[in-house]
Formats: sequence, structure tokens, C-alpha cells
Amino acid sequence: MTGRRARIVLRDLAKTFRDGGREVPAVQDVAAEVHDQEFVAIVGPSGCGKSTILNMIGGLVTPSAGTIAIDGVPVAGRVPANVGYVFQKDTVFPWRSVARNIALGLEYRGVTGAEQARRVRDAVALAGLTGFEDAFPATLSGGMRQRVALMRTLVVEPDILLMDEPFGALDTHTKLTLHAELLALWEARHQTVVFVTHDLSEAITLADRVIVMTRRPGRIKVIHEVKLPRPRDVIAVRETDAYAHEYGRLWHVLGEEFAGRA
Amino acid sequence: MTAADRRRVWVWRLVILISLLAAWEWLTGIKAISRTPGLYWLDPFFISRPSAILARFAHLASGQARLTIWQMALSTVQSTLWGFLVGVSTGFVAGLVLGRHDRLARVLEPYIVAFNSLPRIALVPLITMIFGFGVLAKIVLAWTIVFFIVFFNTFQGARSVDADLIHAARFLGASERQIMRTVIVPSALAWTFASLTPSISFALIGVVVGEFLGGESGGGLGYLIIQSLGTLNAADMMVALISLGLIGIVMAVGIRQLERRLLRWRPEHQGRA
Repeated sequence: MTGRRARIVLRDLAKTFRDGGREVPAVQDVAAEVHDQEFVAIVGPSGCGKSTILNMIGGLVTPSAGTIAIDGVPVAGRVPANVGYVFQKDTVFPWRSVARNIALGLEYRGVTGAEQARRVRDAVALAGLTGFEDAFPATLSGGMRQRVALMRTLVVEPDILLMDEPFGALDTHTKLTLHAELLALWEARHQTVVFVTHDLSEAITLADRVIVMTRRPGRIKVIHEVKLPRPRDVIAVRETDAYAHEYGRLWHVLGEEFAGRA
Repeated sequence: MTAADRRRVWVWRLVILISLLAAWEWLTGIKAISRTPGLYWLDPFFISRPSAILARFAHLASGQARLTIWQMALSTVQSTLWGFLVGVSTGFVAGLVLGRHDRLARVLEPYIVAFNSLPRIALVPLITMIFGFGVLAKIVLAWTIVFFIVFFNTFQGARSVDADLIHAARFLGASERQIMRTVIVPSALAWTFASLTPSISFALIGVVVGEFLGGESGGGLGYLIIQSLGTLNAADMMVALISLGLIGIVMAVGIRQLERRLLRWRPEHQGRA
């Protein structure tokens, strides 16, 4: 990773939420860098503020202290350009067909006509949604809807991707399929990715580095480099000793956080 | 529902209709019944009878009548549709604006609640005073009712837009105007559409009430009802009531079709296209 330029820089980041009159610290002293073309996962026990960090990077939540810069430009409570965000919740527009959902970002940017049609068609094909272009989201499975959300984000070609447990609600099989698809897409474009999850195997399968958070208030416990070769086969990789080794190490670190809770 | 099921439903509907008409015709023909205390109204004088109603209908439908049933029905339908259209569009715009401007909504809230809790019938004389006896007054009356139904629904819809959908749009590069057009308006419309069925019924109510007072220049089936009351003509009154019922059915079915088309993305409408 060394030698690559830092794209996202977090410095002494903290967030405190107000719960009535009480101040609840969610995140404290977070300092990290995400390099160009790097895939970083943030894992931690639920409530550790990992989604809050992502929301601060995305400008949805204003930090209580510290700074965030993307490509040297401070993120000040607004959505940065060139950043795509995939939500945990289903944010596909229910009143738009699959194709029209995927076209949204192009529409917003004024890409119309044949150019729009071509890019939507490519995205639909890439996501394996051919034949479902005119279907409304209500008729699709959760996995297909999340594919639509992913392609909708990717079709405008953001070079930074923020993903907040995008596959959290899916069954294991669908999840693995989407991991494979996501990695294939990433291998083609090498976006800079920050991926929040509570699923350790997901983090190891996908990421170059895994940031492990402590319990609330969330601090960075360990930043771990995943030494698995790329390109990775999401199924085969799980059967390797290297994967078992990585998993065991991170499980131990994360386990301390869960144990401390009892 | 299979075709056989559907046929059975229709057969039963027909059986009920025929039995009701037969009982009506037969019972009102027995003098002894109307002399029984408490059953005095089972008399052609009060509720007419199908044969008499049919005869009056034929007369009113022919060119002999000064105002034919067709002219009156058309007048009622036109005013209803106008009141509905104007009410839905203004209610939608007002709901959208207030739904997205919290402070304005808070300031105006007591006025809106006060005006809405006013019984609309109480407004009829005032509306008549302002707009005169005629078509305009009944459209305005229908509008005052429809407006609030649509307004409250759209208002609710505009306020309950999923914040994550707005965030998603923003990350896809949407400007505030584009968010309005592609997120807020469609979300609110879903609520607006749900208010269309009650709106058309209430528009019809408003128009008929307006016609009660509107006189001949306003025309319409409400005028026929009031006219029949004046002349104690039960058959004409029944012609008007039955026509209103039929108009109500046709309008409700029309709106339901429209709603189904507009909301075809909703799960409950899937597979019924």
C-alpha cells in the first residue's frame, strides 16, 4: 500500500450524539487513511459507530471534533462529489423500474438519450438483470434490489465507494454471489472503497485492510492488513490456510471486544 | 378468482337486484300495508314504485321534458369533475409546499384546521352569495371539500418522504430541484392517489348540495331532487337518486382504474396489470 496517495484522511475524528439532555459519545479519536484504489473494511460490534464514521465521510453526519478530507478537500457536512454510497437499507425507488432506477444518476448529470440507454443497458447486463429492465422493485428479491442499488451507484463511475453493510440483510448464498460480483467490478475499476460490516468473513474476503473498532464509544483497536492474493475467489479463498489464519487472528481481536461486554 | 366464481358473484348480484325491485313493486301495490302503523311510507306516494319510476325516466329521457335527465346528469358530472380536478391540483400543490416548509405549516395550522372543521354545508349560502346561482357555485363547493382531503394526504406524504431516498439521490448527484422532482413529488403522489377515491365521492356530494340551492340555472340532478320535493313527486326523486347512484359507481370504477395505473409499482397492484 505504501507509495499510494492517501485519498481519505481522518484526523482525530469524534462524534457525540445528544440523547435528550445526555451526551452519548459514539466515536472517539479515529485517525486513519484510505489510499487510492484501496479496499478498506471497518468491522466492530454493533453500536461501535462504524456506520457513523462512514456517514461522516459521506457528509451525512457532521463530526463533533476532528477533520475529514477527501483528496485534500475537507468534507464539511455536504455530500462530496465523485463519491458513491450504497446504503444498508433498501433505497431503490419503488416507483421506478429497474432500468429507470439505474438511470437516475445519469439523469441527474444530464446524460440522456442513446448514451444513457447504452450505459444503463451495460449496467443491467453486468448485474445479471437482463430481462428485468421494466420490472418494479416490489417484484424483485432482496438480492436483486441490492444489485440495482449497486449498479445505480456504479453507473455514474464514482472513484470512491462508501458501502454501509450493503449485503447485511441477504442470505449467505446471495451474499457470496454478490461478493464475487463486487470483487469482479472492483478488479475492473479499482475504486477506493470503504466497506462497513459486522461480518468478519465478509471483511476478510473483500478488503485489503480491515479496521477493527472497539465497543462504544468506538475507537480504532487494530488496523490489520489482509495478506490474501488477488484476484480472490470468494468461495475458494475460504478454504485456504491463509484465510483461516487471518480469520483466527481477527476473531481473537474482535472477540476481546465482545468478551469485555459481559 | 376463477371465471366461474366471477359468474356466480354476478348471478347473486342480479338475483338481489331483481328481488328488491319485485318486492318494491309488489309491496307498494298492497293498500293494506301502507295503512299499517309504522309502515305508512311503504306507499307509492313516498317511495314511488319501479314501474312508475321507469315511466318517469322514459319521459325525462325523451325530448318532451323541458330539462332532460341527460342534461341534468351531464351538468352534475361536469361540475363534479371540475370540482375534483381543481380540488386535487390545488390540494396537491398546497400539500407539497406546506409539507416541505415546516415553519409555514406550523403558522397556518390553526387556520387550516378551523376551516376544515367547518361543516361545508354551512358555506353553501355564502358561496351562493358570492358566486351566484349557477354552475360556478357548485364547483366551488366541491372544491372546498376535495381540496382538504387531497391537501392533508399530500401533506402527510410530503412529510414522510424517506430521508435515505433523499440521501441516495444526493449521492447520485441530484440538485435540490431534481430531488423535488424525482423523490419528493413521486413519494407524495402515492399518498395523493390514495385520496382520489374519497375525493370523487365528496366532489359529487358537494355538487349535489350546491344544486339543492342552485336553482334551475345551476341545473343538475340535485335540482331535480329539490324540484321533486317541491312537487311531492317521488318518482322523479327516485329517477334522480338512481341516476346519482349509477354516476357514483361509474366514477368510482374510473378512479380505481386510474389509481391502479398510476400506482402500478406498488406491491398490492403487481400481477394485476
